[in-house]
Amino acid sequence: MNYESASYKVFKAANITFLSVLVFIMVFPFLNVLALAFNDPLDSQFGGITIYPRVFTLDNFKLLFANDEVIHALWISLARVAAGTTIAVLVQFACAYAFTLKEVAGRGAILIFLIIPMYFNGGLIPTYLIYSELHVSNTFWVYILPVSFSLYNMVIIRSYLYTIPDSLGESARIDGANDWTIMTRVYMPLSMPIIAVMTLWTAVYHWNDWTTTLYYVTDHKLYTMQYILMQILKEGERVAKLMEEALMKNITVISSGQPHITPQAIRAANIIVTSLPIIIVYPFLQRFFVKGVTLGAVKE
Amino acid sequence: MNSVTTRAENVARPVKLAAKPNWRRKLKKSYFAYLLMLPSIVLTLIFSYLPMPGILVAFQDHNIFAGLWNSPWVGFKHIREVFEVPMLRQAILNTLLLSVLMIIVSFPAPILLALLMNELKNGLFKRSVQTLSYMPHFLSWIAVVGLTYSLLDVDGPINDLKLLLLGADAERSMFLSHQALFVPMLLILSVWKEVGWGTIVFLAAITSIDPSLYEAAKIDGANRFQQHRHITFPGMKTTAVIMLIFTLGALFGSNFELVYGMQNAFIDFPVISTVVFSSGIQQGNYSTAAAVGFVEGLVAFTLMISANFIAKKVSRISIF
Repeated sequence: MNYESASYKVFKAANITFLSVLVFIMVFPFLNVLALAFNDPLDSQFGGITIYPRVFTLDNFKLLFANDEVIHALWISLARVAAGTTIAVLVQFACAYAFTLKEVAGRGAILIFLIIPMYFNGGLIPTYLIYSELHVSNTFWVYILPVSFSLYNMVIIRSYLYTIPDSLGESARIDGANDWTIMTRVYMPLSMPIIAVMTLWTAVYHWNDWTTTLYYVTDHKLYTMQYILMQILKEGERVAKLMEEALMKNITVISSGQPHITPQAIRAANIIVTSLPIIIVYPFLQRFFVKGVTLGAVKE
Repeated sequence: MNSVTTRAENVARPVKLAAKPNWRRKLKKSYFAYLLMLPSIVLTLIFSYLPMPGILVAFQDHNIFAGLWNSPWVGFKHIREVFEVPMLRQAILNTLLLSVLMIIVSFPAPILLALLMNELKNGLFKRSVQTLSYMPHFLSWIAVVGLTYSLLDVDGPINDLKLLLLGADAERSMFLSHQALFVPMLLILSVWKEVGWGTIVFLAAITSIDPSLYEAAKIDGANRFQQHRHITFPGMKTTAVIMLIFTLGALFGSNFELVYGMQNAFIDFPVISTVVFSSGIQQGNYSTAAAVGFVEGLVAFTLMISANFIAKKVSRISIF
């Protein structure tokens, strides 16, 4: 029964080798930048850094966090994740729950109203103009409100709610619970798995997004960590400012005629700050992420 | 299995029983539902519907002080420009080229990887391969761009490798400013970031195939290749077609973060999304940018509808 041909054995060995190489390619860039971020910046210039720091230092991070704008951006990012995720999950759950209720007049029409924007939208420029006109541009709310409702997420939550037996709500009603209590005390606790999925997805979106800032925000006070990273990568000005401030505050010294810092090291430290939180958390929560994908793929 | 009654099945009966005019209860119940839907409706109205009329900007010489209703109308002037101005035409061609290449490269990649992963025995190695290949999906595009900058740096590991292979006196390259490497780099990066994550749906599809089919095929003397050809592939077809429709619909012009991130002064590769951003938001040519966006939206919409139509004809699978 378990007879394996020689050619299949060869295939298996080749497959394992190929996938090992693939995994290496997947993780190497990250490990390399991790090493670079903890390595002495002037030493890094000689090249040859692989996956561990050659001359260990925390200076790159010290320099990054000595900058007030960076610290502020970090807070904005965290506030955005907290507020954006909470509001989005509540809005979407409430909507999904409402769609599972019976005898709601006009339910179909409302659903169509919510579906249409999936196929037609104004596009970037009309959106940009309207946001300016409504004065949402350059406010914290431009991060939160436009993405609080997502039809896709709502539909996934709804299909999860459909798997919870009706009788639970009915027996709670017989016991005297009102609509609100039934939703918050019966269905919400039972929906925790799907709420966890949505919370994670939304939180990752908010943490990672930088184009909203690029399009609609010019106020420096609203910059996020990812946007600062974009500036470090693409605008020499940001790097120059960081280095200048570090010199002024005596965080970095000038040795043999040049400052003990390089743009590459600042860049590496910033990449690590923006991606490490997710990389650390996600292996533990992976099953929730994956569950969401397979749930979403199930077509109703 | 029988004990699991879905809510949908359960309601059919009570509705019949409550058919006598119970309008007060009905309204009260509807009222609660409306209240729950209200935030979603208001948000959709403001952030999805309100911008829609703004597309008219493409048909006028928009003046931000005059507003949408008082700016002079110019008909199809800007739409014509999209096809006449060389830079805009170039952007459309580049977008098409990139979209076609992306489909060719990034659509089959997760299917192949899922097949290879499926050949592994369940265990630590399989789980590690899965977990680690999902990882890049969770990084932001700009962090991925950052990793690339670092990797391809003059004193980065790729140049180290080059020197190792070609001898220490070989020249270190500035890969990022090579025009010829730009498109291949975009393709590699998008596969790198999403291929692992893309395997999830296909692995789920393979897992849901009835194992007895393979047993039966084995007894009939099918070899491994034949088993895949006649069982695994048909089992993945629905998922593959649906993913293809989604990819087609989302693809056209959706590469802004990657292209914008990777662009620099040495690279000349405008695509629709970067042109809309630079000419519209950065330079304030709202009408031109809106016209480009309008053409893009039209093409994307047509692509998705026709993909859906073709899929329906060929395999009777559709998303609407």
